[in-house]
Amino acid sequence: MPEWFQTFFNYAVIFYSAFLIASYIAMVLLAYKEHKKHRTYHYEKHVIDQMRTSPYTPGVSIVAPAYNEEKTIINNVNSLLSLDYPDYEVVIVNDGSKDDTLKLLIDNFQLVKVPYAYVEKIKTKPVKGVYMTTSDNPVFKRLTVVDKENGGTKADASNAGVNIVSNKYFVCTDVDCIIDKYALYRVAWPTMTSTRKVIAVSASMRMSNGCDVRNGQMIEPKPPHTPIPLFQDLEYARSYLVGKQALSAINAMQNVSGGFGFFDTEIVIKAGGYDGDSFAEDMDMLARMIRYMCDSGEDYRVVQIPEICCWTEGPGNVKVLSRQRTRWGRGLLQFFIVHRDMVFNRTYRQYGMVTLPYILIFEMLAPVIEFLGYISIIWLFLSGGINYHTVWLVFLALYSFAQMLTMIIISFDIYSDNSFKKRSSYRWFMLASLLEPIMYHPLNVFFSLRGYVKHLIGAQMVWGNMTRKGFQQPVPGTEGAEGATEGAEGAAPAEESAAEEISE
Amino acid sequence: MEYYFLEGIEYWKYYIMLLYYRFIELSPEIQVVSIFTTICVITFIFLVIGNIHHNNKKVRRNRGIQRLDEKYKAKIIEIAQRTDLMDLNDITEELDIPKNYRMKEKTTSRIIPILITVHRTYKDKIFRPNWERILQAFKIPPYFEMLMRSRNMGKRIKALMQIADMDADLKEAVASRYLFAKDKKMRMNARLHVARFGTSYPFKALEEDANLEFTEEMMVKYHNILVYRNANNLSMPNLIRWCNRTPVNEELRIFAVNEIRLFKRYDDCPELLEMLRNCRDEGFACALIKALGELEYIPAEGEFRHRYANASFAERQALADALGAINSGNPEVVNYLVYDYRESTDYISKMKALKVLYNYGRRGKDAFNMLKAEAGDEEKPLFTHIENKLLDSRKYA
Repeated sequence: MPEWFQTFFNYAVIFYSAFLIASYIAMVLLAYKEHKKHRTYHYEKHVIDQMRTSPYTPGVSIVAPAYNEEKTIINNVNSLLSLDYPDYEVVIVNDGSKDDTLKLLIDNFQLVKVPYAYVEKIKTKPVKGVYMTTSDNPVFKRLTVVDKENGGTKADASNAGVNIVSNKYFVCTDVDCIIDKYALYRVAWPTMTSTRKVIAVSASMRMSNGCDVRNGQMIEPKPPHTPIPLFQDLEYARSYLVGKQALSAINAMQNVSGGFGFFDTEIVIKAGGYDGDSFAEDMDMLARMIRYMCDSGEDYRVVQIPEICCWTEGPGNVKVLSRQRTRWGRGLLQFFIVHRDMVFNRTYRQYGMVTLPYILIFEMLAPVIEFLGYISIIWLFLSGGINYHTVWLVFLALYSFAQMLTMIIISFDIYSDNSFKKRSSYRWFMLASLLEPIMYHPLNVFFSLRGYVKHLIGAQMVWGNMTRKGFQQPVPGTEGAEGATEGAEGAAPAEESAAEEISE
Repeated sequence: MEYYFLEGIEYWKYYIMLLYYRFIELSPEIQVVSIFTTICVITFIFLVIGNIHHNNKKVRRNRGIQRLDEKYKAKIIEIAQRTDLMDLNDITEELDIPKNYRMKEKTTSRIIPILITVHRTYKDKIFRPNWERILQAFKIPPYFEMLMRSRNMGKRIKALMQIADMDADLKEAVASRYLFAKDKKMRMNARLHVARFGTSYPFKALEEDANLEFTEEMMVKYHNILVYRNANNLSMPNLIRWCNRTPVNEELRIFAVNEIRLFKRYDDCPELLEMLRNCRDEGFACALIKALGELEYIPAEGEFRHRYANASFAERQALADALGAINSGNPEVVNYLVYDYRESTDYISKMKALKVLYNYGRRGKDAFNMLKAEAGDEEKPLFTHIENKLLDSRKYA
């Protein structure tokens, strides 16, 4: 290897790492400011009291696509119908399921096909019918089921749901997500307190693997006790409590999660809805919303709230993780190809000048740089070029920084009252943090690179099935019954998009 | 060779100097990395200790609340629901609070969540004079007064919210010094407190603020305050004056119109109609139209029809809804709605016109059937949608 290249590479890596660490520190400070502000001004019980009886509380629709979910659909819909909010509806989109999903819904909620005047505001695969209940149960009256032809992606199904929502705001989620009882109050509140138009609100999400869930409600959040979900739980906490919270402070949010995102219906429709061809549809959606707002010269806000509103089931093994991360990697590259004109473009304000350059340099290029790092270490090892006197100290510095960051996240989690019931549960986070750089991170680098390569060679992408365990729920009127139901599958799984990895 | 044994400060000094000289011998890169690692490790230890301390504090507090809950909650509920007026001494005796007992600040802060829970749960059953005396027995008003003097703004804001949550009638003076505070949230909460408990004219600060930003949060909170004042026969603001005299803030004017509608102030309708005649702003016009419609003010029908030509999409939809709400049976309204249906280019406006026609008596239904017979294949689903009873209650947007 020529000497000039070695010198250049050394300095490039040093500056890159120093800049990355500096950005982490800046984000931690910004996030702390945001957490403190939230804690000073936000008093949840007071907010719920005020909103519950007010005629000014905005209506919210929940859009949840479902595909082959017969094993869990009834419990999950019951869970969505039992949220606490004065004015909300639930729109389930049956995306051409091949199993008995629709039949079960019809039987359980006494649904009949209604002649709904469906207007296709966003283009989707044809809608076969809209179903509503004949029951006198006022809770069931909140439910609308849209039956459509399979569109192959979650985006298409979500768009069909958006076409039918009747409220000013909607929450896009997955039918198997566990939503906190008061989640809708939490996400609706920022739209009411801001003087600027809030086009989207993102709430914290965590892994439901290992949690105590009964009647579709989270009884006790617990950290997952299996490696892959545990690493991912830590990753989510880091992303939501530090990364997104910091970017929200400067109105530069990069993404609103596909698992639980709150949007302004009108702006989503004007921006053209979700892109069915995108592998990072949630990130793409927000980019198009921001593009619309900036191009039309309107002021906007995208807000992140620290409270956990949703728990989702993460990949349980390396195979599923590989599929998920490859898709995220591919989605990220695809995103930058599609929205390249927004990068370093002042028209798109903080999003164009801060967010996208940050993701490009520290998110998209990171796997490439890390991969080069691995190769150069191997080469230096073989050629005897490693300075063993200093390498352990550099390693120790980076390792201690990672541990400190984890402890900051735990502190933020406790500070935001999101904490686990048993504080000893955080031992699992610490354990994950110790093992993550060795066990989990290299895997993610490899999967992301595979995603890039697949996109560049134009390989056909299959969404694939994600095996979900689900949460069995008791028959109404009986006690408890919790446990796992094997085999529930979702063809268009609700994994986060590539942008979730930011600031990790 | 002579050996010296270092003792006390000399011993520490030696090792610190040794560390220092070793450190300055290192290359600058190693020095930076060493400092960085040390900072990380110290921060880590500091955070661990902080979290443990925070955790223990929280556990102790929860345990304390639990103890107080077991001791007082049942008695508080019982006394608060009694309809016979009780003396403060009797309440103190029943609650088992010793005479001249100086309640600790910590205890008072722990009793507050219990009082808020009781108030929230038994809001409608609480006998207010007894409730006030319960609060006095626990020395809640002086505690809040003390919090309001605190330098910590977060504590002050939280105190004001808690006062509202437990309906602790505290003098408006405690918040009046913050009515024009620099911090927006502090200012807003102080004004809300004064608006809730004030006696003379508590909305003065709101009216006089030229830079007022009236958010939906404030709409929610002021509405709840007006409901509270109305229920307790306290003085209400002159809402029509807010509509007329506050051109600085359009949102406040819209709020005032909405409140006139929600409190069903029929007497204000002529003035609202006059405002509608001179109104050019879309949001304000929509609020006026909705208010006049829901208050069923029949003389407004003529203005509604007259307004159509220059109205925006949103206004036209509001006009159709308002005419449906008045439902006077006027044949001219039927003609208007048929015209509206034919002129509209979007499905939502068409649906609104059709829905009003369908529910507008026999004449309306005849017109609906006539339009149905005329409709092409594209418009037919709108009619079947309107006719379906299950879809009747569902909003369409």
